[in-house]
Amino acid sequence: MELFIFPFKSMGCPCELRIYAGQKHQAQLAAKACMDEATRFEQKYSRYLDSSAATEINRSAGIKPVEIDAETYAILKYAGVCYEQSNGLFDISSGVLRHVWHTQRSELPSEDEILRHLNLVGWEKVELSDQNIFLPISGMELDFGGIVKEYAADAIAALARTMSIRHGLVNLGGDISIIGPQVNNRPWPIGIVHPTIADTAISVIHLANGALATSGGYERYVEIAGKRYSHLINPQTGWPVESLLSVSVVAEQAVVAGSVSSIALLQGEQLGLNWLSTIGLKYLAIDADLHCNGAVGRDSFSSGSPVAHE
Amino acid sequence: MKIKSKSSHLLALTSAALSMPAFSAAQPVETEISVRTSLYKEENVPADNIIFGDDVRYDIDIHQFSLLTPVGEKWSLGFNAARESMSGASPWGTVADADGAATLIMSGATISESRKEFSLSTQRYFNKSSLGIEVSRSKENDYEADAIVLSTEWDSDNKLSTLTLGMSYSKDKITPTDAILFGRVLEKEKTSQSYSLGWTQILDKTSVLQSGIRVTKHSGYLTDPYKLRDARPDERLEWSVNFRYRKFIESTNAALHTNYRYYEDSYKVRSHTVETAWYQNIAGNFQLAPNLRYYSQRKASFYLPIDDYTLPLTTNQSSDYRLSTFGAFTVGLKAIYNQPTWAVSFSVENYKSRGKYSLTNAETEHPALLSFSLASIGFDFRF
Repeated sequence: MELFIFPFKSMGCPCELRIYAGQKHQAQLAAKACMDEATRFEQKYSRYLDSSAATEINRSAGIKPVEIDAETYAILKYAGVCYEQSNGLFDISSGVLRHVWHTQRSELPSEDEILRHLNLVGWEKVELSDQNIFLPISGMELDFGGIVKEYAADAIAALARTMSIRHGLVNLGGDISIIGPQVNNRPWPIGIVHPTIADTAISVIHLANGALATSGGYERYVEIAGKRYSHLINPQTGWPVESLLSVSVVAEQAVVAGSVSSIALLQGEQLGLNWLSTIGLKYLAIDADLHCNGAVGRDSFSSGSPVAHE
Repeated sequence: MKIKSKSSHLLALTSAALSMPAFSAAQPVETEISVRTSLYKEENVPADNIIFGDDVRYDIDIHQFSLLTPVGEKWSLGFNAARESMSGASPWGTVADADGAATLIMSGATISESRKEFSLSTQRYFNKSSLGIEVSRSKENDYEADAIVLSTEWDSDNKLSTLTLGMSYSKDKITPTDAILFGRVLEKEKTSQSYSLGWTQILDKTSVLQSGIRVTKHSGYLTDPYKLRDARPDERLEWSVNFRYRKFIESTNAALHTNYRYYEDSYKVRSHTVETAWYQNIAGNFQLAPNLRYYSQRKASFYLPIDDYTLPLTTNQSSDYRLSTFGAFTVGLKAIYNQPTWAVSFSVENYKSRGKYSLTNAETEHPALLSFSLASIGFDFRF
């Protein structure tokens, strides 16, 4: 069996499939189906595409309920569980706060401006049934990005398995779902990107099964009066969170790994580390001093590994 | 901000995640083929217990083949075949010896026959459920059985519980050999119908509990035509409940399996079975699993230790050791070596039954109580 690598772009991120197959056309066939699936997720859940289901939901805020299918309902229900389990920190309706902390800002927003936006935030306000969703206030927005990318990695790995791919991995912009171990049962080495040095891995994690997701606050930020404000915003205060630089979590499902790492980041450094240490999953959390916390491997970086970045 | 206790979060997130469509693909994603060969050997009956016939009991060679393959995304197809070759003697009846104790009349050791069985099954997978049907046929020179099984499985929304329902019907026909020579019945039939209900509950990350009940009704000719004197009610109603608990113990990288089953029927047979096995993972892909099983049975209401030839033929009686009071211990060991595309397993088992092992007082022990050894080797392939 031979390893075939298919790089592609989806959901605004560099993505990659690694597939072991006996023949090239078998790998190509599976890769085509996987990439089509990634495109399907992108077209359905992107906020930026006019025709997406996500756009229709947001466009109808304050106007009318929107009919949803079983997949969208399952994702929204999962989002609701994330909201409950994080006591409201993980809120897919918090995207509007981006408009307050946009990168062109040169001075701090007023409390009034923050409050006005906070009124448009709150999963508890959303009316959801298995048929419909209604955002009751005009201007409210849902952002599926924090769940769908990870979930898509799992869905694509499951799809590859149904196409008899036994050995491979799906990497959607650093959210990785393993199809199966490398041939000879070897685990895949996965580099965790260094938060401050581009294209360098700070650690390598070996994974034979399951998934890994990384969340970080280091890449996008706004600098106001010499102070950096990250794009991670607490949906209850409306203010950016000072937190860990990056959190990688290993779980059975990429979607669970992703929400655990996001919830850890949103809690700030100390509470985030506490949460990670009690959750029962392997993780690697990098703090502001570039110290690595957590139980996953600290092996040196081996070149040629797929690199996970936020 | 204070967040609630730990792994309850993980459990909540995981169970919510598992109800998303990508994780509902429970159908087999690859073709699986298994072949297994087993040797079953019953211990000889002590010569002192026999007044007539051979002391060599059954030896059975068993060969099994099974294939399970997905067909499209929503269907799977299964095929099973088995062939058993048996030789040896079996008990025909009991009479009293000079001291009044039961002693055996055995057949000659010339019984030599084979049984073939085929089954074909298909399953349709839905989002949260599946529906299956299986038909099977088993054939020996003196016995034929046809059966059909319907089954369905339902997952709960959070995927932590599964409900299973099963229903089966079988029709058996017996045409005893040498019927005219020994005055046996020429041809008789029986039918069986069985209903089962099961519930599987994932308790937490490392443990699962399965429970189930089953009711079976046999009607028709239930007597053993090879026994010299045997008459049984033409209806037998059976019911049983079982519990299976599986716990993975992370600190030792092992899994504990414990099972309990209670059985009762209209013949007034009652039994308890407890079983425990320890699956120890060693060095990644090697598994060693010792197991221990205890069985205890109370006799049927019409069981007689010694055939009574003075009773009318229509009065129920049987000296079949399987209907007597006894208990049994089984010890076994299984070794499994796993690779991504294949696995090999080897198992040995030793079974010993005695009257005094029963929880109920056996009064007299049947002279033909069984002891056997079973060894088997199997290969599984996935592609």
